[in-house]
Amino acid sequence: MIYLDSAATTLQKPPAVARAMAEAVGTMTSPGRGNYGPSSRASRTLLALREKAAELFGMSRPEQVVLTHNATHGLNLAVKTMVRPGARVLLSGWEHNAVTRPLATIPGVRVRTVEAPLFRPKQFLEDLDRKLREGTDGVICTHVSNVFGYILPVDEIAARCRAASVPLLVDASQSAGVLPISMDDWGADFVAMPGHKGLYGPQGTGLLLVRDTALPLLEGGTGSQSRLQTMPDFLPDRLEAGTHNIPGAAGLLAGLRFVEKTGPSAILRHERALLARAAAGLVRLPGVTVYRAEDPGCQCGVLSFRAKGRDPGALADALADRGIAVRSGLHCAPLAHASAGTEGEGTVRVSFSAFNTAWEVDRFLERMAGLV
Amino acid sequence: MYYLIMCRSLTYAQRIANALESAGVGARILRSPAEISPSGCSYSVRLSPRSLTKAMTVLKHTRLPYLGIYVGSAAEHWREVSP
Repeated sequence: MIYLDSAATTLQKPPAVARAMAEAVGTMTSPGRGNYGPSSRASRTLLALREKAAELFGMSRPEQVVLTHNATHGLNLAVKTMVRPGARVLLSGWEHNAVTRPLATIPGVRVRTVEAPLFRPKQFLEDLDRKLREGTDGVICTHVSNVFGYILPVDEIAARCRAASVPLLVDASQSAGVLPISMDDWGADFVAMPGHKGLYGPQGTGLLLVRDTALPLLEGGTGSQSRLQTMPDFLPDRLEAGTHNIPGAAGLLAGLRFVEKTGPSAILRHERALLARAAAGLVRLPGVTVYRAEDPGCQCGVLSFRAKGRDPGALADALADRGIAVRSGLHCAPLAHASAGTEGEGTVRVSFSAFNTAWEVDRFLERMAGLV
Repeated sequence: MYYLIMCRSLTYAQRIANALESAGVGARILRSPAEISPSGCSYSVRLSPRSLTKAMTVLKHTRLPYLGIYVGSAAEHWREVSP
């Protein structure tokens, strides 16, 4: 099978990830449970993960790196802390349901979106400026659209939020591991990311970078301040109730080391080259519409397309039957499809990782040529 | 007799212990004695008396926060000290 669905989960991982997880299962228990070897090893692994993440994502305080189950978990923590009932929230218009569904649970929230066409960052910033002037209590912005690979101008968005003293939450689900992320430079309140996509960790892991603090979603044991019946007021304990996913943390740490060693910019360059090859082949096919940025700097390794007269789901199924794994439909992001005008049937999406090859892209294009 | 640097979380205790070890100061993380931990479970970094001065220099340099420094031993009461 040729796997082109890394925007959902990277399937191919560095071998060190599975090795680290197996070692953790056999040799580590839970951090802070005692001064014995297996607990101490778990503690060291977790701290090493926080320190490596802080280093990679421009954060001076590793204790502000919170281990989550996935990006959705981190986004829920952040949204439910940042957005109070009745608040006015500004979204990018390219958000995932992991943002919009938590928002929908908060009473009286008034949501507006920045309106600008796909791959038009300048227009995006102009509308953002207008809407910031009109007043908002918080901005939530994905770094990269999970449907179109559109890179939002987060450096500029963060600068505007800082200038307006408006809290900012960045969803780095598609950017972590390929684009520069600097929590301290951005001055963001939260940055959420999964472990299992561009960081090459296992499913069930994620990171939430927290500038100050957050409201817990779960209460329980933390191995600290045990006599108190409230959660500790310090991170990471405040947001990490219960036994940690230590095999997951060990695997994610191995993934981060792979990303650091390979270099996010090298991975991005590789994925962009594959995307350009796929896009160039797809546009030559009859009736195929490809959502490709004119400025290649606006898009990373995620590409959506549609074929005239073909249901995206049926097309994805036909590709699966021919050994090509892609994703179709709304990609859990109906807002993004509405912003792009593709909300009817959605699109077919291909997405790449460091392990994909040009040969695989060519096989995908061959199969597509046989289907349209 | 030895000194304990009491920390509010395991993460801070680990960071302080790592900073001290990097500077050549022997440090070991342990559970804080119940006597000095009224809120329940916390963590401390254990130091030998001769390491205290150097440890204080490291802590000042790294600006890692801690809750207090105690002197004592398992056989006697702990008292907070001002280094």
